[in-house]
This record gives sequence, C-alpha cells and structure tokens, in this order.
Amino acid sequence: MTATDKRHQEVVKKIKLIMRDVSKDIITEKTMPVLDVPKVGYDNTVWSDAKRMLTIGIKTVQVSPDSTKKIPTFAQYIVMASAIRRLLDEEMESTIRGMYYATLSTVGDEKNKQKFWNSQENSDDAIKAVELLTGIPREEFSVTSKPKGMVSGPIMLRVGGDLIDCNLGSKATSQLIPTNIRDVEIVNVKADFVMVVEKDTVLNNIRKSGFIQKYNAILLTGSGEPDRATRMMVKTLNEEWKKPVVIFADADPWGLGIALRYKIGSESLSYDSDRLVTPDAKVLGMLFSDIYEYNIPEVARLTASDEDINRANDMKKKPWLQDKQWQKELNLFLQRKEKCELDAFFKHGFKYLAETYLPQKLREANMI
Amino acid sequence: MKPNASVDVASEPTKATTGMTPHSSKIKVSYNRKAESEFFVDNSALAGFTGERILYMAVRELIENALDSCESNHTLPYISLSLKLLDPVNDMWFVSCEDNGIGVPPDKVPVAVCSFLTSGKYVEKQQRGLFGVGLKMIAAFSTKDTDHPLKVWTKPQDEGSEHYFELRTDIGTNKPIILVRKVLKTNEQVIKAGSGFKVQAVLRARLSPITKNRIYDYISQSSIVNPYALLVFESDEGKVVFDRRTKMMPQPAKEVLPHPGDMDLKTLKKAILNFTNQKTTLLGVLCNSFQKLSAEKAKEIITRSGVEIKPADKYNEHELIKVVNICKQTKFQIPNTDHLSPIGEEILTAGMTSEYAIVINKQTHPAEHSQPQLSIKILKPSLTTYSSKICLINNRPTIVECGIAYGGDISSFRLYRFANKIPLLYDEGSDVAREVVSEVEINKMGISKKEVKEQFADPETKAVRAVELLPIHIFFHICSTKIPYKTAGKESIASEGDLKRYMKVCLADLYRKVSAQIRKELRIKEAESRLHLYKYYIPLIVNAISESIKVDPDRLSEAFTRVAERHVRGEINYPIAERQDKITGERIDGEIHETTEVEDKILISRMDRDNQHEEKNRKTERTNQNTNKKNTQRKVQTTLDILNVQKKTRRK
Repeated sequence: MTATDKRHQEVVKKIKLIMRDVSKDIITEKTMPVLDVPKVGYDNTVWSDAKRMLTIGIKTVQVSPDSTKKIPTFAQYIVMASAIRRLLDEEMESTIRGMYYATLSTVGDEKNKQKFWNSQENSDDAIKAVELLTGIPREEFSVTSKPKGMVSGPIMLRVGGDLIDCNLGSKATSQLIPTNIRDVEIVNVKADFVMVVEKDTVLNNIRKSGFIQKYNAILLTGSGEPDRATRMMVKTLNEEWKKPVVIFADADPWGLGIALRYKIGSESLSYDSDRLVTPDAKVLGMLFSDIYEYNIPEVARLTASDEDINRANDMKKKPWLQDKQWQKELNLFLQRKEKCELDAFFKHGFKYLAETYLPQKLREANMI
Repeated sequence: MKPNASVDVASEPTKATTGMTPHSSKIKVSYNRKAESEFFVDNSALAGFTGERILYMAVRELIENALDSCESNHTLPYISLSLKLLDPVNDMWFVSCEDNGIGVPPDKVPVAVCSFLTSGKYVEKQQRGLFGVGLKMIAAFSTKDTDHPLKVWTKPQDEGSEHYFELRTDIGTNKPIILVRKVLKTNEQVIKAGSGFKVQAVLRARLSPITKNRIYDYISQSSIVNPYALLVFESDEGKVVFDRRTKMMPQPAKEVLPHPGDMDLKTLKKAILNFTNQKTTLLGVLCNSFQKLSAEKAKEIITRSGVEIKPADKYNEHELIKVVNICKQTKFQIPNTDHLSPIGEEILTAGMTSEYAIVINKQTHPAEHSQPQLSIKILKPSLTTYSSKICLINNRPTIVECGIAYGGDISSFRLYRFANKIPLLYDEGSDVAREVVSEVEINKMGISKKEVKEQFADPETKAVRAVELLPIHIFFHICSTKIPYKTAGKESIASEGDLKRYMKVCLADLYRKVSAQIRKELRIKEAESRLHLYKYYIPLIVNAISESIKVDPDRLSEAFTRVAERHVRGEINYPIAERQDKITGERIDGEIHETTEVEDKILISRMDRDNQHEEKNRKTERTNQNTNKKNTQRKVQTTLDILNVQKKTRRK
C-alpha cells in the first residue's frame, strides 16, 4: 500500500466516522447531531511567537440542523463529505469547481424549489468544513484548484510517473506548479537559493535575462495570491531541501501582504499554516525606500489609495511587523503615500531589474 | 341659512370689453363678482372633483351625507347606493343613494341640494362633511354636463309625507331651479324607511379601472369604520351587501362652544353679535360664548386686557384684539371632547374582526359576455387590538384611534387611514400615518427585523420596511373639528403639532399589546418552515450517509424525522455549546487512533454485519409490532451500538 493510498484510506475512514457519529446521534441518542467546526477568519487567527506564523485559535462554529439557516448548511457539509468519499472510491481527482458541479441539485418540491448551492462559494465552504473536520487538507483528498503557480530553475519534479526538469534550457517558459500535490514529488534540487516574486510577468522577465543560469537560482511565483501548492513547494524547498528563500513583491501594502503569505501565512488558511508557511523566508524587496534609493522616476510611481493607507496603518500594529526596519518602511510609505510595482524598474531599461536591482539586493543579503 | 348674494356676472365682462375704444392701448381691468356655484364649478379641484375622480367624489359625498344624516338622529344607518353606466357612448353614469336618516325639510331641499355654501353643518362638532359643497357639486355637474334633472326624494322625520323634487342649478347665480315639486301619494313613495332622503343624478364621467377600484375600496373601508351600517351597493358588475355587524353606534357628536384658546377677532365679534341689543356685558358674552371660561377667569381677562367696561357691542376692533391677545396668553383647561365622535373600541373592533372587501370574480366563459361578478369576501384576522389618545393639535382637541388586525385571513400589510370616519384613499405616501408606521420600530412587537425578514420575506415584493412583510392591517382614525389636511382634496393628513408623536405612542402601544401573540405566531411559522426544510433536506442527508456507511436509510430517515419533529415542538432543548458529544476533529482523530487499521476494517465490516442483523431484527420486529405494541420499546433499543455489544457477547 502506497503512502497516498493510506492517506486516502484515512480520509475515507474519517468521513465514515463522521457519518457514523451523525447516525448514532440520530438513531441512538435521538438528538440533533452537532458538527463542531473550527472557526476560520480574522477573529480566530492567532500569532504564534514560537512557530513564527499565524495559527488558528480555539473558537469553533457549531453546525447542527436545528434552525432554518443551519439545516441547509448541515446538509451541504454531509453531502460534500459523501461526494469526497465517492471521489476517492473512484480514484479520481477533481477541482473545487468540479465538486460544485458533482453535488449540484435542487431541493424542495415544485411549489418551493431552491438551489442546493447558492454559488460555488457555498460549496467551497463545505469543502473547507470537511478539511477542518477531518484535519486533512483537500489536496490530500484529490480536490484541487486550477494551477497558477510557476517554477523555473534547476529542480526536478516527478509528477505521477513523469519526470519534469524545470531547468528549461530555452529560457522561454516556466513549469506550472501542479496542484495535485499528492502526486508531486521533488526529486532533485541543484539550485543555491529560491527566489519568489509576486507576479508571473516579473518572473518571465528575470528568467529571460538568464538570471537562473547566472546565479544558480530557482524562480517561483504564485501569480499574485499564491495557491496552496505554491506555498507548500516553497516550504518544502526551504525546510526539506535547506534552500534559502527570498521574496520580492511590489512596494505597496498589497504586495507586502502577498510576501507575508509565504512567510507568516494568512487568516483564511490559518488552520493549515503548519504545511504552508515558510517562516525562514526573507522578504528582500521591493522596499518602500527602494523607490527613492533606486530613483524610480515619478511617472512610474503610483499614488496610494485610501485602502492602501488603511492597510498600512493596520500592518503597522501587527506583532510580526514590529521589527524596526519594517516600521521605518511603513512610516515612509505613510508619509510619502507613494507605491511602486516591480515592473517600474523597466523604466530604467528591460534588464535593469534582473541585472542591477536584484543582484544588488541579494548581495546586501549575502545571498550571492 | 346664508342668503344668496350676487347676480349678473356672466354679462358684465362683455359690457366692459365693448365699452373700451378699439384704439385704446390702455388695459382696463374690470372687477366682477362671481357666484359661489360658478366659482366651485370653475375650480372643481378644490372640492376634489377632477376628471377621473368625479364619480369617486360623488359616491363619497353621497355616502358621507347619508351617514351624517343617520347618525345625527342615532339611527342605525341603512344606505343603498347604486352606480350604473347609462350611456356608454357619452360616458353618462347614473348614480343614486338612499338612506334612512332624518331627511331634509321640503322647503330647504332646493337650496340644500343646489346652493353652494349652504349647509346645516356649520357648527362646532365633528361631522364628515363640513363645507356644504359635495351634494351641490353633484347637482352642478349634472346641470353642466347633462340635460337630466337631479331627482330628490325626502321624507323628514315626524312628517309622514314624502316629497319629490326635480332640480337643476343655475350655476351663474348659485340658485336652484325647481322643475318639479310635489307631495307623493302613498303608492308613489320610494323611501322604504320611516324617514330618509334619496338622490338620483346623472353625471358625465369616465371611470378607469383604478378609480373603480377606489370606489370599491371606499365603500369597503366605510363599512369597516361603520360596521353598524347596512350598506347595499349595486353596480353593473353586480350587487353586494355589507351586513350590519353591530347595533352599537358611536356617541353622536354634540355641538360645543368654541374654546377661548382658539379665539380670534372673528369668533369674538360673532359671539358679541349674538347678543346684539341685549345690553350684555363683555363678561357675559365671554362666559356664555366660550367653554371652560368661568366668570372669574373672564373678569381676569378683561382686567388684564385693560379695556373699559361698557356694553359688549360698544367695543371696537382695537379693543377686542387686546382681549384676544390676552386669551392667547392665558392657560385654560383642556377643551372638552363632547363635540368629537370617535369610533370607539367596540365598534372599530367589530369592523376589524370582520373586514368586508369587494372581490371581482372574473368569469371564465369567453363565449358569454364575460362580465365580472362582484362578491364579498370577509377577512377574519386572528387578533385585533385597539388604542386611543386624546391630544391637542393647534389648540383643537383631537382624538387619535389606532387598531391592528393581524394574521388569520389577512395575508399582507395594509395601512388604513380615516379622518372623521371618512376613509382616505389617495396620497398615502405623504400622509403622517405612513411616517408613523415607518418610524415605530418593529422590535416593539418583541420580534426583530431579521426574524420577520426570514419568515415573511417574499422575493417578489420589495418591501423595505420589515413591518410591511407582516400579515397586518393597521388602522388610524383621526377625529377633530379641524383635521390638518395637507391638500384641499382632503386625502392626506399633515404631521402637525404633536399629532405624529401621539400616533406613534398609540401604534407602539398596540405593538406591545400584540407582541406575545405575534411572537407565538412567528414561532409556529418558523416551526412550519423548519419542518418544510427537514422534509427537503433529510432525504439528502440520509442519502449521503447511507451511501457512505452501511445504515438502513429508511430507519435513519424515520429516526431523523422523529428527532426533527421533536425538535420543532421544542422537546429537545439544549444549548448546543454545552453538548459534550459534539462531532469534532479531535474526537474523530481520537477514534481513528484508538483503532488500528485492521480493527478499522472490522469496524466497517462489523457495521455491515450489524446491518444484516438489523434487517433480521427489523423483520421480527415488524411481526412483533403487529402482535404486541409494547415491543416498540425494543425497536427503539435496536441501535448500532447496542447491536455491537450484543455481537461481542455472542462471539464470546
């Protein structure tokens, strides 16, 4: 029996245990079953100094079919759990959208018909509830999302039975990071360090310049908000393959937020931080001070929106950003109210980012 | 009765024009006097008689006159109203109304019917009509637009004979033209009751479906506030009867003296005029012409105003205004409300507990002339409640009455507005009652907006206010000798003085009174909708479970339904948060670690076997059940767990 099969069995078994408990409550105890689902969100996210990451708190949500509002929710959770079990029984995999369609139905009679799901959001929530109840991430039960993370560089993956070398010689393309992570295995990593950038456009520019070959680096991007597979790959490279990780994102509160997803985690996935977060990653840029250090011309700077300002004010209070350097950066932003994208370096020439800015920053951090 | 004044109006302007030299560039303005009748016909909107509304106003005026006439004598009203299309090509309508009121003395009939601003109602007491315009408008419009005379029958009280008139109005002079006048022989009489009045007119008007419904609404709503009236209404669409639901009538309004707080130069001069040549002192006039004014108080007022003592009719306006000013500054006792006639709790309740509404049944025989048929629908609410307040608005005593009818046959929200027992149908949006309903929070009923929205929200109606989702009828009745109408059409009431505050107090009071009942109804409704949801969702849940683990779907479903029913009945009462046996991740983790993989297989296969066993059990059970009902106890015990235990012991 392979590891994944065993994992599958565990999921199936847990789902069956939940079903059994529900039946037991109804038949034996003659009472309403109650599912106790950990609460996800900002009000149940706790910063852990020891782990250096965001973790889930102790609050839970009771889901019991005891009110007009919760009867549908309870049914949705149970139906979704059963659908996941079926998926595993059939040894298939599915996207979260696929699960939405697989469980789509109408409820009620002719007179009063309603949809089982109001939108895919409901079904995503149900999947999340099964994750939270079983304590097993959805990737492990073969429910994935569309891949969007990309990787390039001296790293060899085995996906299913196929070997994929991401050191793509042509410099012309990157490898999508598969989201069915249970099928993905890192075979070999020859790079010296891992560089994560916020956006695929920036990654393409850097790759094209021959950065990978010159500095023996792995380039990674989550194309904006990183999915779980991307975050997990970064963590694996850092913790199992002992490769230092550096992160570059845009010099705005949003970009800083994305950089921090890798480093400390997020509120919506705080229950899974242990598998997703790379606390040792270093956020090297782009700093607000870089806008001025590297003379980004005024035309390439953007005016901060009110939302940006609020976000920055919020961030300033966070325990994980109490570091003097970050406080200085945030104060600078709040004072100048200017932000800047990594792409702005193209104003200095198309190769400036890859050949001047990044090497200089990496040298400052003793990475090269 | 006021004498009638001016003549020669129509011809004068022409004279003036011809008198002008054609080359003169000077504009000469001529000043003419207009007869009241001509003024009102030219400005019919002042009395509400505009285009579409002519028939509505006619019906309204006739019903109001009839009710006033009956009530003034405390007679249980019988009113028979008829509205029929006489000539479709020329939009001629036939309208008639008969009542059993006090009738009109025959010698007064022509002026009472035809001369504007002639009325027996110019006194300080609450009545429906006040202006002496309504019936005259009908007469004038009939004269203006048709060649039919207005036919009138009157049978005054204490006078056995019935008189018949055919009248038209001389619009130019505001004088009646009497075409026929005669005393009817017994066999010619049409008025059924011992006394009464009947009017028959032909009017030229268009009747849109909207206005038609307004007329029907008007009649239905009149019957709500006058449940003691027997109302018969006949139209081309059929005949309906609004039964008399109570024999109780409101206390009739009494004529009262004006309140000194409301005194002005006009009322004071009028009071003095009543005592002309009687050598009465000002003190005497004040005491005898105003209420709540004792001799001492009157003396004090005269002293404070500093006017010299002399016969009342010797004062000039400059002196009298001082008296008026002092009165305005003086505090008097609250005016009495004898001149008001509220509907009262019993009568309004009688109206609310059996709300009559006209329904139009569309006949579905396309071949035959598809004439809709009128019928009466009686709405019986599950509860009604009443509240009233007396207040002073603009120095005039005003009574606010408010009622609520909830649930039962009532299916949606509706606001009813009445002023001096007259239904107000137009301009609801700008009426103070509307504001009051919007501003009194529904949580006074002990229910939250959220609950209401969950239980009553209907995706098809976009009601913004939570209260408008409730099956509730709210009634407001304002009575006063001077209703603060917003417009001359008398269709909406302005929020004057403290009126709104008092109305809010009344409504809030009612909300509190109905709260217990409504909360109960809401709970029942919530339970019902929960049962519906269970009906829909239990099969889904059972299906999901039974395809995952081996459990008899029928049994699970049955058990689930029973638990759900008990829960809805409130028999399972526990705070969820305190439950010890919640299904949590840790518990599942614990259970999974307790067993090794092999054991787990056993667990699942054991469930299989349990199931088979269970099947057998159920079969025997069924037979048992047939023979002995006591065995139901056993059925309850046949659960997965107990079977497990039995298995183990048996294996040993």
